[in-house]
Amino acid sequence: MSHKIPSELKYTKDHEWALVEGNTVTIGITDFAQSSLGDVVYVELPAVESEITKEQAFGVVESIKSVSDLYAPLTGIVVERNEDVINSPALLNEDCYLNWLIKVKLTSPSQVDSLLDAESYKNVCQ
Amino acid sequence: MLKQIPLHELHQQKGAKFAPFAGFNMPLNYSSVADEISAVRKNCGVFDVSHMGEFFVTGEQAVEFVDTLIPNNFKTAAVGKAVYSPLCNHDGKILDDLIAYKISEQEVLICVNASNIEKDWNWISEAAKKEKLNFELRNSSEDYCLLAVQGPKTESVLQPLFPEVPLSSLSYYSVFKYQAKSKIPIIFARTGYTGEDGFEVFCDAQTAQKLWLDLMEAGVAPCGLVARDVLRLEAAYPLYGKELTDQHTPKECGLTWTLSKIGKNYIGKEAIEAKPAKTKLIKLLLESGIPRENYKVYQNDVHVGHVTSGTFSTTLGKGIAIASIEAQTDNSKGGFQIEVRANKINAEFTSKPFYQGVLKK
Repeated sequence: MSHKIPSELKYTKDHEWALVEGNTVTIGITDFAQSSLGDVVYVELPAVESEITKEQAFGVVESIKSVSDLYAPLTGIVVERNEDVINSPALLNEDCYLNWLIKVKLTSPSQVDSLLDAESYKNVCQ
Repeated sequence: MLKQIPLHELHQQKGAKFAPFAGFNMPLNYSSVADEISAVRKNCGVFDVSHMGEFFVTGEQAVEFVDTLIPNNFKTAAVGKAVYSPLCNHDGKILDDLIAYKISEQEVLICVNASNIEKDWNWISEAAKKEKLNFELRNSSEDYCLLAVQGPKTESVLQPLFPEVPLSSLSYYSVFKYQAKSKIPIIFARTGYTGEDGFEVFCDAQTAQKLWLDLMEAGVAPCGLVARDVLRLEAAYPLYGKELTDQHTPKECGLTWTLSKIGKNYIGKEAIEAKPAKTKLIKLLLESGIPRENYKVYQNDVHVGHVTSGTFSTTLGKGIAIASIEAQTDNSKGGFQIEVRANKINAEFTSKPFYQGVLKK
């Protein structure tokens, strides 16, 4: 099964995507993640102004059967979280790239270089 | 070595995801689990549960033997009725839970959990040796497939496929043996594990294949084990290995109602009657989040037990749990909490099943 991997995004091996725009990064889960999870029924996200740390768990997504941690692609301060996804977790199954999770202001912008590009992430999904 | 169920390829064709369960490679889900659950609650869904075990007890004293084997009354059940019961050892601990179908006065079908087939077979065979009764025991688990067709529309879908079988006149927990052209008879039982009306059809692989294809043709949703687990939890049915274990007596698992009160003898009776229950099962609805197995349960901040099964009920849109707690806990005081990732979340006690469909009277 082939999964959507938009070329303009960056990725982690844990199946999060990141859209980097200057010092702000928008974070979500990939198509591979949502399809492996199946029906997403619960999302837990950090509060605005809390700090997330690269490669550390920052939240949780739960399907009917499983609980999965979300791992931070980068270190930064949460500036916005998507309440729509918290209220309607199924949005992640509908369109996981449109329905982002959090927006973060980077505290270590150089970390961006460590993210995977679409081509490298494709290999992770195989 | 993982066993394949006979209809494996048909499930593959429907896009099933598989996972090992009780030594069998079983369909987990075909598409969206939420859609499968909804199909069973509103229309009709079919589960291939051919991994389940089937034992036949036949002969003059078959019914008498089964009556001594299980705590629930079987001798007094009418011909054509089914009886749910735990199966206990001499210490009164639960070895399995089962349904015994009284096909006739001389023929009983016992359906057991896949994970316990060998254990149950050995236990029942040993028990049979000790009884000076006239009956025969047969393990037919390899010969029988089992399709559970469940949901409010089941009768209207299934009856036209078997016009010569009086399905519509069977009530809940009834059984009918149909001597078809197939090698082995087809056994229709109005039982299930979803809290909905429905039939469980015991038959050979060839009949099961045809039935599966006919059901697909009729638009019945193929459903897997994940949906089945949510459906049974919504109906608050216990699962062996979770709510029911060989560490507990029936009284500790909400099964006091299955213990015969008419003075009959059965294996484990003395121990069950002598031992006070140390724990009990309760049902909890979580205010937010999803309870999972082994999450801690508190009452007003005092640790009283743990979740045995928890999930997200897509029917209710809420997290639901069955929990095992200390027997002396006063449920009516409320104040229950479940610890989810270090947060104690309020949980509402309920004495009723989370969901109950309409069963055929």
